[in-house]
Amino acid sequence: MNSIVTLQGLVKRFGGRSVLDGIDLELPAGTTTVLLGANGAGKSTLLRLLLGLERADEGSIRVAGLDPFHAASEVRRRVGYVPDQPDVYDWMSPKELYGFLAPQYPRWSRELEARLITRLEIPHTTRFSALSRGEAAKAMLVAAIAPQPDLYLFDEAFSGLDPLVRDEVLAAFLEEAVLDSRAALVVTHELDVAARIADRVAVLNEGRIAVCASMEELGGGADSGALPRKLKELLGDVLLEGSAVA
Amino acid sequence: MDELVWNVDPNADAPPSKQLVLRVLDALASDRLAAGAQLPSVRQLAARALVNPNTAARAYRDLEQLGVVRGANGLGVFATEAGPRLARDLRRRSTLDAFRGAASEALRAGHAPSELVTELSKLASNAKRPRKSA
Repeated sequence: MNSIVTLQGLVKRFGGRSVLDGIDLELPAGTTTVLLGANGAGKSTLLRLLLGLERADEGSIRVAGLDPFHAASEVRRRVGYVPDQPDVYDWMSPKELYGFLAPQYPRWSRELEARLITRLEIPHTTRFSALSRGEAAKAMLVAAIAPQPDLYLFDEAFSGLDPLVRDEVLAAFLEEAVLDSRAALVVTHELDVAARIADRVAVLNEGRIAVCASMEELGGGADSGALPRKLKELLGDVLLEGSAVA
Repeated sequence: MDELVWNVDPNADAPPSKQLVLRVLDALASDRLAAGAQLPSVRQLAARALVNPNTAARAYRDLEQLGVVRGANGLGVFATEAGPRLARDLRRRSTLDAFRGAASEALRAGHAPSELVTELSKLASNAKRPRKSA
């Protein structure tokens, strides 16, 4: 299958400690992979490597065929990223942000931008500093979808939101983020969200991918019910194993 | 179409795609979805039910296989002419199976057949109540 992201033997050390200790992971086109893992498991480091913000110590990393560290700006144009906290100039309004970003993304769709602003009722002329957490999360979602990227990267983008707002944001992602030839990597600790949107689940533990499986494999059949429970069991096992080894 | 409820419970034992199939069959069987009516697109369904689009597509594939919808891969998804009848048949089949199962269990537990007939008559005379929509 055509993979948007390929990680092979990826190692990242900070001060002699391996935060990522040999990661192998593929993100096939057309799929959403949910990345689960305890705090400190290395999720944020993995995202920073994918965005070209850090350099790998060993192994290889390809995003749409490119090395993110050496082709950082080219990779950034192909990634739609939603950080856990908006990393924008807070004196900008969403409208100003989109005007600032659009020229940097060759496939940015003004039509998609306008449709999402309407759909999510984003006060797009209000400065970020005056937006609620939910409004800012919606505004950031637009900034990740309108570029029509090869890779959607969401770092806890659905967390800490009012449940109604969370469902609105999820629905907009599910309907408007076209995955046909693209992939999504969603970091979350909300198992309910994971069970709804994942095609595949990867569990990061102590710098390694402890589990990477499709929902079919996890459920032991066609898409199976009771997935949040199963994910919790799975995650529990992994964390127990990890602490037993440590 | 918009009044239809597409909620999926990820904690339920039935897989999300099967829950969606049952929602559509139920809507067809109870005339909330008419023959020829348009259903949401795969992506719209995914957004309304808050499920992965591949799950929504799987539900439509099953419904197409059952003959109650058509065009899942085209420009729109529509209930087939035979959809409502097929949905009622399917529902009758599964409810009849459930009834047989319950009746067999009651007989095994020692209830006399006449007792069960009396119970059934009582249920039949109460069955005129309006149907509750899900």
